[in-house]
Amino acid sequence: MKISNLKLDEIFHTLVTSDRGLDRGEATRRLAEFGPNGIEETRRKPLLLRFAGQFTHFLAILLWIAAALSLLSEYLHPGEGMGMLGAAILTVIFLNAGFTFFQEYRAERALDAMKKMLPFRVKTLRDGLVSEVPAADIVPGDILLLEEGDRVPADTRIIECTSMSVSNALLTGESEPVSRSSTPFDGDMLASPNIAFAGTTVVGGSGRGAVFATGMRTEFGRIAQLTGTVTPGLSPLQKEIVKITRIIGAIATIMGLLFFIIGQFIGRTFWDNFLFAVGIIVANVPEGLLPTVTLSLAMASRRMARRNVIIKTLISVETLGSVSVICTDKTGTLTKNIMIVAETACLGNDPHGNDEWLHTVGMLCNNARELDGEIRGDPTEIALLREARSARVRHGGLRIREFPFDAERKRMSTITTVDGAPMMLTKGAPESVLAICRECRIGGRNVTFDNALRSEADRLYGMLMDRGLRVLACAIRSIDSAEAVTNSAAAERDLTFLGFIGLEDPPRPEVAAAIRKCRAGGIRIIMITGDATRTALAVAKRIGLVQKGAVAIEGGNFERMSDGDLRTALSEGEVIFSRMTPKHKLRVVNILKEEGERVAVTGDGVNDAPALKRADIGIAMGLSGTDVAREAADMILLDDNFASIVNAIEEGRAVYENIRKFISYIFSSNIPEIVPYLAFVLFRIPLPLTIMQILAVDIGTDMLPALALGAEKPSPDLMQRPPRSPRERLLNLPLLARAYLFLGPIEAMAGMFGFFFILSTGGWQWGDVLPAHSTLYLQATTACLAAIIITQVANIFACRSFRESIFTLGFFSNKMIFAGILSEILILLFIVYTPAGNALFGTAPIFGNVWFILALFALSLFAAEEIRKAIARRYCSGGAVE
Amino acid sequence: MRYQRILTAINEHVQSEIAARYALQFAAAAGACLDICFVEEPGHQTEHGQIARAAAERMQNRAKAAGVPCRLLYERGDPLTEIRRIVKTDVVDLVFVATRGEDVKRRFYTGTMARRLSRGLPCSVALVRVVHLGRIHPKEILVPLKSRLSHAAERAAFIAVLSRAFDSRVHLFHVTRPLRTFFHGEMHLTPLEWDQRLPADISRFIEELNRRRTAHERRLAPGVAGRVISVEAAVRRHDLIVMGASERGRAGSLLRGNPVEQVLRETPCDLIVLKPVHENQ
Repeated sequence: MKISNLKLDEIFHTLVTSDRGLDRGEATRRLAEFGPNGIEETRRKPLLLRFAGQFTHFLAILLWIAAALSLLSEYLHPGEGMGMLGAAILTVIFLNAGFTFFQEYRAERALDAMKKMLPFRVKTLRDGLVSEVPAADIVPGDILLLEEGDRVPADTRIIECTSMSVSNALLTGESEPVSRSSTPFDGDMLASPNIAFAGTTVVGGSGRGAVFATGMRTEFGRIAQLTGTVTPGLSPLQKEIVKITRIIGAIATIMGLLFFIIGQFIGRTFWDNFLFAVGIIVANVPEGLLPTVTLSLAMASRRMARRNVIIKTLISVETLGSVSVICTDKTGTLTKNIMIVAETACLGNDPHGNDEWLHTVGMLCNNARELDGEIRGDPTEIALLREARSARVRHGGLRIREFPFDAERKRMSTITTVDGAPMMLTKGAPESVLAICRECRIGGRNVTFDNALRSEADRLYGMLMDRGLRVLACAIRSIDSAEAVTNSAAAERDLTFLGFIGLEDPPRPEVAAAIRKCRAGGIRIIMITGDATRTALAVAKRIGLVQKGAVAIEGGNFERMSDGDLRTALSEGEVIFSRMTPKHKLRVVNILKEEGERVAVTGDGVNDAPALKRADIGIAMGLSGTDVAREAADMILLDDNFASIVNAIEEGRAVYENIRKFISYIFSSNIPEIVPYLAFVLFRIPLPLTIMQILAVDIGTDMLPALALGAEKPSPDLMQRPPRSPRERLLNLPLLARAYLFLGPIEAMAGMFGFFFILSTGGWQWGDVLPAHSTLYLQATTACLAAIIITQVANIFACRSFRESIFTLGFFSNKMIFAGILSEILILLFIVYTPAGNALFGTAPIFGNVWFILALFALSLFAAEEIRKAIARRYCSGGAVE
Repeated sequence: MRYQRILTAINEHVQSEIAARYALQFAAAAGACLDICFVEEPGHQTEHGQIARAAAERMQNRAKAAGVPCRLLYERGDPLTEIRRIVKTDVVDLVFVATRGEDVKRRFYTGTMARRLSRGLPCSVALVRVVHLGRIHPKEILVPLKSRLSHAAERAAFIAVLSRAFDSRVHLFHVTRPLRTFFHGEMHLTPLEWDQRLPADISRFIEELNRRRTAHERRLAPGVAGRVISVEAAVRRHDLIVMGASERGRAGSLLRGNPVEQVLRETPCDLIVLKPVHENQ
């Protein structure tokens, strides 16, 4: 039993109130107990704590320890550059934290938009007197006085009303006003005509009601609560980055500790071993990865903006690429949201025999109006008016009275003087209009609307629906001048059925191709529409959304289905939800997510907000969407067009592929950074590469070329592949093997060759100890660093594709690559040939012949990779080519 | 377990009257007697006393109409002391008490009246938080369950009676910690996979419910208990949440948070926090 079931006295009894309202003392007590009537923010982790969280994850802790040890070393052994290293590591920590936070941060403004939807002051009865109080002070049991134009402040049971109608658009998405009454109602409370919900607007009449829920316990508050609390969880990319940093962090720590212990065993000093351990950790950790990922996502979001998609959180760029299901609205997204009259039909031999009168009803029982040369109003009525004008309807009319459309009657009627005679003109849903018709007009004559003709009308109606048309039935009746027409029930009777008008919202022309693309890319599309099943199915067939027998689930059945049944239905190939309201979307999204799908969902209304928040990607409509939907969404479609979603998904997939490319690139340079340390410990040679030089590569020279890889064009077959499996790793074994066992060793060879080449030409003998500041040593480490950077120049071409030859891709097809290489070379020249660079990175200028030798290594890497790709193309399938 | 005498405490607040309605329906379904008790504290405003007495009388009339044997008890003194005395003297099995605004504003587990009653009474206590006056008979009851459940038999008995009282559907809901590994982070499990990990205590509770022929659905979800419970109730439009009282002490609540407190704050529907004492009777 709910409040909507109760009679007047039971309402007062239940709410412990009376028709005089509450007394002020009781109102004050209830306010203290139930709290203010308003939208409250749910408690979230403060921004500062969320930012602090970026400094306490596993990798950050590792780097904190390394920085602390470096600074301690500087204190114990001043002048050996460990202070600078400590500062550099701290910079890396802050840089990474800043970039990660920037990726994840999103201002939560959806609730702010919702707060503005409640009124500030309302009229209420207190102690039997009308008083205006702040809406925040309304409590359960208060009696509200509602008039046209008022916003309802709380969920209210109507106790008396006069011609009262409200707009529930905020809650149901239905723009048509619905009439209110005070009589008990046994159905669902949300559909109850005796309830006025918080946030809705009184659009006609007036009434009184008793408040039964306030604040966050109203239906509106429930949406606000869900909008504020539901989250999609970590994005696939965030999860992968956590995994990568943990794996790399663990490898770095284990290697550091292991070689520290080995060093102790073979008799190196503690200090040398410590230096080595820190070096190994720094060399292993890809310090530049997070900034590069963030910048790459930012670049992709700019590209998407050019394709009518605004991305609100950077991380969503990549999440789009992993989407496996799109739950989409129909009207406006798959279709143009422009109604046109596609067909008229009536009973009898001539299907167009009643067209003149059908158009007359369409024109005169219509509220669309021409303003400034433009017809404005409801899209259906605009279409009817346009069609009537183009059909040059002869009849004119003067409206006497109107019975507006409402959701219960599902029809609209007017009493209009047509050619001097008053007539009842009615249009509406066929099941509603046919039920009140007594006759029908065939061949210009009125005949009894018997069962046979009714069956014929039903068949005609079904036929039009199967063509994907929204069907209206039209009927008329002559009104006797003496007839007293008091209300719609008295007026809308004994009508003469004229025929049907079939309207169509044409599909967007680009949608069919976008759906084919999704189908090829293994992405399921689930249409969720308020339309009737047959109309929805017909449209779906027309745009290629369904091919075989689709499962169609209607809103009523949906509510009765258990989660298990729904899960089974959703596992079928093609599913369409019809007669649905936005409140159903969240459940669909939840079930799909529980099944491991990565879900994108479209929405425009306030009550779409929770589903938009819960989905992996919430997509709000830029043209028709409410502020709340836009704030709750991850991305906004500027043109409301489904095809733009598919474009964005393609861009997202390209981003993921490109992130893998630059991870290969960044990880390749880890090996030439690690090998010098291993050689230093195991072969007792001078350290070939200092920690500052490692950082010069990781957060200096590697960054811009890696970003250029992030701008690679998508592979042509990108949308031919299925969505990547949630089990697919960003950093998988083939990728690691290519970086660590193939590209990395070539770079390491180059680095070590450059180091020993300088030492041997400078007269160094095995076992000689070189002072840290000797020119020969500085030049040797410089050659090692230069070798790594030069081979990375070649590596950037290698990493542009996992299996395609650079000659196929085209050398100049990504011009940003050359900007990246230029930056790399300029940084290298700064490090090698300027006093500032020499001082900062412990380098010294090297001669031209060294560059020539290092260039040969770069060419070797390039050639070796081309050979590997050729072998991969010939012998390996797609998955194992990295 | 059979509840034979149920007491409900009334005061000047409307919530206590709504809580008493729950007690009345419960008593009717359990075939128990109902004691409606108002304890006037020293210094209490006269007006408050009158409001409470009026509410108690309304409840008595309802009880008569429902055919539930009922007594009105007006006492003076400290509510805990007086109610404890009545519970001991009259062998009360279960007490229904409404939570107050202070229980939500202040930390619930740091010394509110509800806390005192829950801790200090020698019988089972059902603390009722009333937030929505429109759902008069809860049709959908959400029952969040912990992995480790004490008093499974009494909890099941309570749910069974409540479900019978309102002819409601029962939805068992277990919030479990997400499955995580160091290198892989959070693992995704489908509902079926979660179902296979149903804790033994919950299985025992389900057996108890089955024994009482109480139909139910069950669901498991990973997450942070307090938040997930209130979201679940909001998403599925449950009318009432019934959960066990927290066994976390003050220090534990301060350090690790308290799901019961969080649900008390955020619940979108009425909430009953049950502290059972009868073990396997």
